[in-house]
Amino acid sequence: MSEMDWSKMSMTTMWRDWIVKSEQQWSENMSRLLKDEKTGPVLTKQIDEARMMHKMFGEMAQMSLAAANLPSRTDFEALDERMGRIEDGMSAVQAELAQLRAALVGARAIAPAAGAAGAAGTLGAAPARTRKPAGKVPAGKSTAKSRA
Amino acid sequence: MTAPTTAARADPKPDALKAATSAALRPSAKNESAKLGNPMQRALERMGIDAEDFASITGELGVTPKETIYAQGTMKLHHYRPLADDVYRVPVLIVTSLVNQPYILDLAPGQSMVEFLLRQGFDVFLIEWGRPRREHQDLVLEDYVLDRIPACIRRVQEVSGEKDVSIIGYCVGGLLAALYAALTPQGPLKNMVCMAAPVNGDGLESLKAWMGKDFDEEALLAQYGNVPGEWVQNALRALRPFGKLAGAMSLLNNMDKIEAVRSNLRMGKWETDNLPFPGGVFRQMVNGFLRKNQLVKGTWVIGGKRVKLGDIKVPFLHLLAQDDHITPYASSKELVQLVGSRDKQEIIVKGGHVGLVAGRGAELRMWPALEGWLAQRSV
Repeated sequence: MSEMDWSKMSMTTMWRDWIVKSEQQWSENMSRLLKDEKTGPVLTKQIDEARMMHKMFGEMAQMSLAAANLPSRTDFEALDERMGRIEDGMSAVQAELAQLRAALVGARAIAPAAGAAGAAGTLGAAPARTRKPAGKVPAGKSTAKSRA
Repeated sequence: MTAPTTAARADPKPDALKAATSAALRPSAKNESAKLGNPMQRALERMGIDAEDFASITGELGVTPKETIYAQGTMKLHHYRPLADDVYRVPVLIVTSLVNQPYILDLAPGQSMVEFLLRQGFDVFLIEWGRPRREHQDLVLEDYVLDRIPACIRRVQEVSGEKDVSIIGYCVGGLLAALYAALTPQGPLKNMVCMAAPVNGDGLESLKAWMGKDFDEEALLAQYGNVPGEWVQNALRALRPFGKLAGAMSLLNNMDKIEAVRSNLRMGKWETDNLPFPGGVFRQMVNGFLRKNQLVKGTWVIGGKRVKLGDIKVPFLHLLAQDDHITPYASSKELVQLVGSRDKQEIIVKGGHVGLVAGRGAELRMWPALEGWLAQRSV
């Protein structure tokens, strides 16, 4: 919260604001607990158990869904894989077309002003590569650390 | 309420294929979400927002006009339409994270680092790694660092007509960029910028504790192939256990500020849209990076070659966030010390991991710092 608007203040707002302000401390304390060398292995064990449960539940659900002639998560994942492959194929075609168009543009010299730099450009006439920064380029080498 | 129009920003002459594919390529919430649930709908109606779906509130995400100029498997290389009359000579290639969607760098008009760079006169390219499927479970770091990134750089060189390329890597993308630069010291890099890139596995204390010797990554990968996006999300959330609660409270206290609500929902959409971690890369990260901390020790071997960050000699900038709980300072501070560049700098800005690249803080602090550093070295 950047600024307090006292006209809109209520107990609920103040309570929420307190949570926001306290969160970092709570998270730091919880993180300290979670990364403790004693907690780590316990957490790892729980992750393993959750993974096993997920696997068993998935297999059971798949059998039930198959019996009811309904699609399972596996079926949706297979569909997702196929759609992903189609999307990849379309991207490849799109990239090929972009290259083809760039080659045509180059051949017909539609954008001669762009010169050599823009010869293979893909988004129409390429702007000239002549921009200079507002300030001067520093002459020396720098090894610095700063805060912004 | 209607969605904010993007017509003025759209390609004025879209070809048929582009129009057909853009909807699939764009990480539009509109394509993915059904109508909002009733409690959310009621809350929005109380605010005077008559929205039916997520996209009508947030607007579409990642809409800065671009074209896919190279694709390999799930990876796509995008080239953004320049937004300045003239551009800097050296093109910029952004390498995004493997586990997060790249549209955090191009959230919405006015909230986009990509759009900012374009307006400042940079020619911007971006690698989108895509969502790995089971068939990609064997992808390893070598595939990304020694095959895909070099292929993208070659394509950037072809399209721009320039030999030099600047690279910007965010989070795991920063790590990938650093690995590429260290393993290809004779490469065409002109400048290198990392944003919150972890290099020291010992600094990722929580992840190291959870993925210690008791953690059975092989069983996880045998079951899923890749690490599911939900697992990645839960791990990242556990790094700041009460962050979500605080975010919700803050949102409720700012419900009268429509733009704050929109911004919050955009970020929320991105935070829950993690990508699966490719199995092979995960295995390398857990064993080599986390458990043995081989990168900072200089003993990490990738593609049969030892990674020496000291081999990075190009001008180097590392941008870090002061309150980054995902890439804490302890995990990233060595990078600027280890690179061999004579011209190197580290800038620490206020905010967190996401606030480093998106949001009001990024707009005020990080983007100008990045532009100021890169512009001078891009002529």
